[in-house]
Amino acid sequence: MGGFLLRRLGHALLVVLLVSTVTFAVVHAAPGGPALLADPKLSGAERQAIETRLGLDQPLPVQYGRWLARLARGDLGNSFLFETSNVSAIRARLPNTLLLAGTALLISLVVAIPIGAASAARPGGWLDRLSSGFAFVAMSLPAFWLGIVLILTFAVRWRLLPAGGASTVGSAGSVTDRLLHLILPALVLATAGTAELLRYTRASARGVLGLPFVRTARAKGVGERAVRWRHAMRNALIPIVTVIGLQLPRLVGGAAITETVFSWPGMGRLGIEAALARDYPLVMAITLLVSIGVLAFTLVVDVVYFIIDPRLQADR
Amino acid sequence: MSGIRSLATPLARATLTRLALLGALAGAACGGERNAGDAGTQRGSQSPVTAGGVLRIALINDPIFNPVIAPDLGSVMLNKVLFPGLVRPDEQLRPVPDLAESWEASDDGLSYTFKLRPGVVWHDGVPFSAHDVKFTFDQIIDLDSGSRLRSDFAAVDGTDVLDSLTVRFRLKAPFAPFLTLLGYNAGILPAHLLRGAPLTQSVDFNRRHPVGTGPFMFEEIVPGASVTLVRNPRYYGSTPLLDRIVFKVVPDINAQVAQLRAGELDFITVEPATLASVQDVMGVKVLQVPVVQHYYVAFNASRPLFASPVVRRALGMAVDRDAIIKGVLRGYADMPRGTIPVALGDYFDDSIPPVPYAPDSARVLLASAGWTRAPDGKLRNKAGKPFAFSLLVDKGNPTREQTALAVQQDLRKIGIDVTLRTMEFAALVRDHVLPGTFDAHLIWWTTPPDPDQYAFYHTGQDNNNVRWSNAAADSLLALGRRTMDPVQRKEIYRAFQRIEMIDPPVLVLFYPREIQAVSDRLQGLPTLGIRDALRYSERFAMKAR
Repeated sequence: MGGFLLRRLGHALLVVLLVSTVTFAVVHAAPGGPALLADPKLSGAERQAIETRLGLDQPLPVQYGRWLARLARGDLGNSFLFETSNVSAIRARLPNTLLLAGTALLISLVVAIPIGAASAARPGGWLDRLSSGFAFVAMSLPAFWLGIVLILTFAVRWRLLPAGGASTVGSAGSVTDRLLHLILPALVLATAGTAELLRYTRASARGVLGLPFVRTARAKGVGERAVRWRHAMRNALIPIVTVIGLQLPRLVGGAAITETVFSWPGMGRLGIEAALARDYPLVMAITLLVSIGVLAFTLVVDVVYFIIDPRLQADR
Repeated sequence: MSGIRSLATPLARATLTRLALLGALAGAACGGERNAGDAGTQRGSQSPVTAGGVLRIALINDPIFNPVIAPDLGSVMLNKVLFPGLVRPDEQLRPVPDLAESWEASDDGLSYTFKLRPGVVWHDGVPFSAHDVKFTFDQIIDLDSGSRLRSDFAAVDGTDVLDSLTVRFRLKAPFAPFLTLLGYNAGILPAHLLRGAPLTQSVDFNRRHPVGTGPFMFEEIVPGASVTLVRNPRYYGSTPLLDRIVFKVVPDINAQVAQLRAGELDFITVEPATLASVQDVMGVKVLQVPVVQHYYVAFNASRPLFASPVVRRALGMAVDRDAIIKGVLRGYADMPRGTIPVALGDYFDDSIPPVPYAPDSARVLLASAGWTRAPDGKLRNKAGKPFAFSLLVDKGNPTREQTALAVQQDLRKIGIDVTLRTMEFAALVRDHVLPGTFDAHLIWWTTPPDPDQYAFYHTGQDNNNVRWSNAAADSLLALGRRTMDPVQRKEIYRAFQRIEMIDPPVLVLFYPREIQAVSDRLQGLPTLGIRDALRYSERFAMKAR
C-alpha cells in the first residue's frame, strides 16, 4: 500500500507539472490579452507601463520560469484582475464551490444509488421506466437553461426561493437563509450527475444480480433484502466508485455555468472571469488547484477501491 | 464613459413623454414633470420622499475601490459613491461644486485655484484637506502609479497646496475640458491612508477597507457576491436618505432580469435585446437616458480601399441607420450626424441633416471613385478587383452583432462584399484595433461629457485607430481644447461636425441611450446615466412598499 501510494504521488506530481505547462502555453496562445490592456483608450506609454509592472514585457519562457520559481517558494502569484494574491482570491470563493459541489454530489448519491438499485431489481417496472425517463431528460438539459427555468418558476413566479446569490445581504450566517439559497443551484448542478450515476448503478447492479454467487446466496436461503444490498450491491458499487470519482471535474466545470446563472460566488465563476480577462496568474493558480484536487480525489478513489475490493491487493 | 443629456433639445423632450408613457404602462405612478437644469430632479414619482430603505444595484464584476487605478464599470460605479471629486456634473453636463466650493481660472487658462469645502471629513474621521487633492493628482499624472486617468489629465503640470483648503493646478497649456474631467472619474483619495506605497499595492484599501468622503461608507464586501455601503452621517452635502446601498454582483444579464423581477434587485441596465423581459412587469419601470457615446464602423483610412473621403461618404449613404435604430435598438438610440452625440446638448449640431439612406447616390459616388458595377452585380475597379473587406465585431453582444449583420446586408445590396468576423472584445482591441491590422471594425467610444475629440480624431494621436487625417479638422480640434469661451467652442465643434459630413472619419451608426430597468419604488434618480447618477446617491430613496 505504501509503495503504491508513493508511486501514485510521483505520477500526480508529473501530471501537475504537465498540466501547468500546457495551461501556460494555452492561455498565452489565446487571442487578445489581459483585459487591463484591452482598453482602446490607453496610450502607448500607459500600455508599456502596465506591461512592465505585470512582467508581461518579458519573453514567455522567462515568464514561465518566474512562475515556476515562485511556485517552488509556495507563491501562487498575484491576480491581474483583482490586484490581490491569487490565494486570497481563491480562498474567498473556494468554500462556496465546495459547499455547492458537495451538496450536489450528496444529492446525486442519495437519489441515484437506491433508485438505481431498485430499478435493477425490477427491470421494466414502473420505477425503472420512470427513472430511465428522468435520466434521459436530465442528461439532455443544459444547466443554464434549467437554471433560468427554475429561477423563473420558483423565484420570479412563486417567490418561494431566492433567485441568486449564496445568502441574503445583511443576513449572513443564518443557516436557513444559506440553505434556501443552496436549493436551486445544487439541484441544477446535481441533475446531470444524478442521471449518469443512476444509469451506471442500474447497469452495474443488473450485471451483478445475474452472477452465480447471487443465485447461490438465494439458494442457501439468504433473504432477498440481504441478497440485494449486502451481497449484490457491495460488488455493484465497485465500478460506481470510479464514476463518482469522475464526477469531480464535472462538478467543478459544471459549477462555472451554474454559478454564473445563480450569481453564486464560487470558484468556477472566478475561473471563467479569469479566463475571459486573460488574468494569466489567476488562471494558472485555479488550474493548478483544480488539477491537484482532481488527482487527490482519484487517489482517494483508488484507496477506496483497495478497501472495498480485496482482490486488488492480491493482484498487486 | 458617462451619460448626461441636455433637456433643451427636442429629442430629449420627446424622450420625456416616452418615459411617462412607459412608466404608466408598467403600472408606475409616473409624474414625468422635470425641471431642466436642476440636477437630481426626481424621476418617476411626485409623492413625498421618505428616508430609510435599501437600494440594490446590479454589478457585473467585483470592484476595486480606487477611482485612479480602476477603469472597469463595476469599480467606476462604486467609486462614484465612495469618492466624490472636486466637481460633479449637473444634468446639463456642466461642472458644479462638490468637494470644491468655488474656483477661479487665470486669464491665460494656465492655472486653476480651488477653494475646498470646509469641514469635510473622511469616513474614518480624519479631516479632508488640500493635501489629499495634491496627493491624488500626483498619483494620477504619475505613469508608474498604475493610474488609468493619466491621459485625461495629461495637461496638468502639477498641483500646489496654498493652504489647507486651497489648491492650485498648474497646466502646461490651456485645456478647456479640464473642469469637466475633474467631475468625470477623478475621485479624491485619502493621502493619510495611501501615501508611501504604490496605489496598486494598497490591497487592503483597494479591496477591503476603502475610505472616501461620499454620502455612503463601506460596510461589507462578500467577494463575488456583494458590496454593502451604509449611510455616512457626517456627509458634507444633504443628508443621505437611504440606509444602505447594496451592489450585488450578478454577471449574467438573464439572472439580473430574473432578480429584478423577483424583487431582489432594484436597478439594472439592459440592452435592447433584453428589453421585452422587463417591459410591462409589475413594479418595474423602464427609463432611458442618452449617453455620451457614438457607435461606428471604423474604416482603416491608411488602406487604399478607404483612403478616399468619397468612398467613406458613399459607404455611409449605403447603410440604413434608421432601420438599425428601429430594428436592432428598438428605437432606443438617436439618429447620428457626426461623432459628437446628441447628449452633448448645444455642441451637437442639429441643423445638420442626417446622412440619408441613399444606395443609388452611394453607387454614383462610388462610380466616381472608380468602382463600377460588374455584370456579376459586384463592385469592381478598373483592374477588375472586387470591393471586398472584412468587418470585425466583438462576440456576445447582440446589439453589435446584429448591427454588423445589418451593415453587411446593406453594403451587399450595392455590390460590396463584406465578410463578418466575430471575436472576443480583448482580441479585437489588442490584436486588430491597436496595431491597425484591420479593414473595418464595429466599435464605440464612450467619451467624457465634453466635445473634445482630439485624442480620437486628430492626426497621429494614440486613439486615432482609423488613421484619419484632415488638416482643417486637426486645427479645429486643437483650437477647441484651448478655447475657454463656450460660445466660441460651440462654433468650433459645429464646424468640425460639418467637416465630418464631407470627410467622415468613421461611419457613425447611432448614439445609444442607456436603458434603465428600475423598481418603481426608487425615487430621486437624476436624469443621468447610472455612472453619473450615482454621484447624487444621497438623494436616492426607496418608497415604502
